Amino acid sequence: MTQKRRIPRLLQLVLIVLGVYISFVLLFDVALHQLIPKSLLTMYMLFVVAGTVMVFTFTEEGAQELVGPIKALVEDPSKKMIRNVVFVIVPLLAGYYTYTSMMPSFEAPMELRTIHPAPPSKFKAFGKSFNLTTLENPFRKFEKEDPAKFKDLVKEGGNVYIKNCQYCHGDKLDGRGPYASGLNPTPLNFQDVGTIAQLQESFLFWRISTGGPGLPAEAAPWISSMPVWQNFLTEDEIWKVILYLYDYTGRRPRSWANE
Amino acid sequence: MSSVNKIALLTFCTALFMAGSAVAKPGVAAKGKEIYDKRCTWCHGAEGAGDGASKDRLNPPPRDFTSGNYKIRSSDFADPTPNDEDVFRMIRDGMPGTAMPGWSDLLAEQDMWDLVAYVKSFAKYDKPPAKQVDYGTQIKSSADSIEKGKKLFEDGDRCVECHGKTGKGSASKRLKGDAGERTWPRNLTKPWTFRGSNDPKDIFTRISTGIAGTEMPSFADPGSKKKLSIEERWHVANYVASIAKTDKKVNAENTVIKADKVEGELPSTPDDAAWEKTAPTTFYTVPQIIGGERYFMPSNDTITVRAMYNDKMIAMLLEWDDRTKSIPGDSDAEKIADAPIAEDGVAVQLPVVIPKEMQKPYFGMGDAANPVNIWHWKSGTKDAAETIALLNSKGFKEIEKRDAAGVGLKSKAVYGDGTWRVVITRPLTTSAPDKDIQFSEGRFIPVAFAAWDGSNNGEKGSKHTMTTWYWLLLKPATGSKPLITALIVAGLFVGGLLWWARSAAKKPAA
Ligand code: HEC
Ligand code: HEC
Ligand code: HEC
Repeated sequence: MTQKRRIPRLLQLVLIVLGVYISFVLLFDVALHQLIPKSLLTMYMLFVVAGTVMVFTFTEEGAQELVGPIKALVEDPSKKMIRNVVFVIVPLLAGYYTYTSMMPSFEAPMELRTIHPAPPSKFKAFGKSFNLTTLENPFRKFEKEDPAKFKDLVKEGGNVYIKNCQYCHGDKLDGRGPYASGLNPTPLNFQDVGTIAQLQESFLFWRISTGGPGLPAEAAPWISSMPVWQNFLTEDEIWKVILYLYDYTGRRPRSWANE
Repeated sequence: MSSVNKIALLTFCTALFMAGSAVAKPGVAAKGKEIYDKRCTWCHGAEGAGDGASKDRLNPPPRDFTSGNYKIRSSDFADPTPNDEDVFRMIRDGMPGTAMPGWSDLLAEQDMWDLVAYVKSFAKYDKPPAKQVDYGTQIKSSADSIEKGKKLFEDGDRCVECHGKTGKGSASKRLKGDAGERTWPRNLTKPWTFRGSNDPKDIFTRISTGIAGTEMPSFADPGSKKKLSIEERWHVANYVASIAKTDKKVNAENTVIKADKVEGELPSTPDDAAWEKTAPTTFYTVPQIIGGERYFMPSNDTITVRAMYNDKMIAMLLEWDDRTKSIPGDSDAEKIADAPIAEDGVAVQLPVVIPKEMQKPYFGMGDAANPVNIWHWKSGTKDAAETIALLNSKGFKEIEKRDAAGVGLKSKAVYGDGTWRVVITRPLTTSAPDKDIQFSEGRFIPVAFAAWDGSNNGEKGSKHTMTTWYWLLLKPATGSKPLITALIVAGLFVGGLLWWARSAAKKPAA
């Protein structure tokens, strides 16, 4: 076994933990566009550290090698200088950590919620019951059967959209309407692959007609500013605005046929 | 690097460079029309007349391109023709404070030049403007220049006439746009709402050209009684750029109003100097377009909140810019107001029970299972003083009026220079814990706000601006506990390490 020029095990461990830490932060920042909440990060990192230490100390030699440098620091008389430095820094760090964690945190509480909850199989709107498993957009068929009529329907949907939805979802359908930044949670971005492209038209019909208050508890209906559109629009208008959402973004609804 | 790669990189860099600078490129109107028909008709209308479906629900309304009015242009005041770069810039960057978005993230640069050509064709602008704004030599901003600018701003009510003494646009007269819509003089302390920017050069350009289609005049026009020379315009521009109030800008990260604990009395008026010591938190207010009778054309845009408490009471200072003091019955107020005038107002919404779990009352006035307290302040009429009402509601259809004085809810308001400042106080606890929120230290308490500008477009009842839930925290006084604990922990670590080192030294070397 050639052991020369290998990174010391202790350093390896530190590097791995650090690497995971940075990727967490980056993942949240770049992919999800939000800062990772502190409490969540602490929890993740606890698992990561515990996990890596377990792997590293799996064999007797492994464990020896890992603690070797630490033992040497304390026991080897030639390392007195570093030892003194470490003996000052470690208690200071411990004291500092205790102090900051005891100071009350004024970070807003985290609110974990499901953005796309599982839809109910049936729901009530417009004074009747809809079965989500069979519900279809009654206008979708004209896309093939009568393209000119379809175009008109999309246009009518666009008029509904610009008069009712653009304030929040934006006239570019990017979730950044003029009032979007005043709402928490922010309106969804329909250009994003993660929203309407993943959903069926029947799901959209449910979300639009029942709005924020129609969401199940795991989606925190009490904070969603999405209005209850059955109060303002007709069934047909909702189906048309759905046509417009897909047409403008160039996305396709998911359908049973494609599954 | 292979030569192919080098060429690719070079092209890429050139492309980047060109994208950064808007050098006019000939656009093709016919191509512009295709894009326009998909993206712009909704607001600007099929024939460019500003009559798209959204027309009646936007203020400012979508521009009527056949009018030939361009607000943001750099051509001479006498020539309404915009430069292609001016129009391009508005299409690319959008117009803050309006529904007009920037399109650079969705459209390619050439697309936007094509749109410029098409949009201009509605007013038959086919030649570039003959003359441009004359900038002379720019005068850099300095204390001296700002002082001069301030004088010119105020002299003979030059700008004060419309923008008010502090620049907040507190109204002394009614202004209208060409399309007949109500226009508000810009609040110059909030430059992030400028359609152009608050770079002195941009401001210089605006006061030189005026703002077409509105009553904002040109100050380069030699025929104007309020005319300014080039040098004077630079001073005014420097002054306007200097009055931005950045503490009124929303910081999206800051969602918690932190109430400081104080010893002794709480301030009971907005003018109390003690408020200066607490940190303000500012939130956007958005029009109520969610339930009941909806409201689309707000004039207020943010609310700034401060809070303090002592061992008995809590006090909140609410501050929001409102260009008009709306007093029903007062003839001056009624002259500037859209009839019918109503009182100005503000409301604070709090849950009756501070939630232990994540679940809160519905942000729009609570729900059947989770009622809210609403403290509703109104500005009063000519014959009646300001009032504060206490409401308990379970959704907007189930509202119970309660006795505000009975729970010790009080308010005191001051209006000045285009800003309302209202202090609301209440005891931390009341005798009806099942009906009133009981404040306690260290808890994150959901809080939301609403505001009414009674002079604007029928704001009343469900027609108002509002926020969604944020947080109020009564910051506990921490005392010396953390410091003592930290010292003990550090001490224990030192002891432990020394003991380890000593026992290692005693051990015979292995
Ligand atoms: C007051 C702001 C507001 C308005 C107006 C509004 N929405 Fe929403 N909408 C939201 C918010 C906020 C969400 C996200 C809610 C959430 O995360 O649960 C949302 C979510 C949605 C969703 C769910 C998307 C998904 O991926 O699950 C659809 C579909 C939708 N809106 C369509 C519409 C349509 C159509 C209109 C106009 C008829 C409209 N919205 C008007 C705020 C608004
Ligand atoms: C959601 C509605 C909406 C849409 C969609 C929209 N605009 Fe606008 N646009 C407006 C409003 C509102 C104004 C007027 C703002 C003002 O007067 O302050 C405006 C103003 C303009 C102006 C005038 C700039 C100036 O200097 O006065 C131009 C040019 C313009 N829009 C181009 C476009 C183009 C091109 C598109 C399509 C790519 C488009 N707009 C789409 C709402 C919209
Ligand atoms: C007769 C009324 C009136 C006078 C006098 C007036 N303004 Fe204005 N001003 C307005 C109005 C109205 C607007 C908003 C126009 C609009 O709706 O876009 C405005 C807008 C502005 C803007 C915003 C530009 C942008 O990019 O959005 C600036 C800056 C400004 N004025 C500066 C001044 C200065 C400086 C003076 C004095 C030299 C002045 N104004 C005098 C009415 C006036």
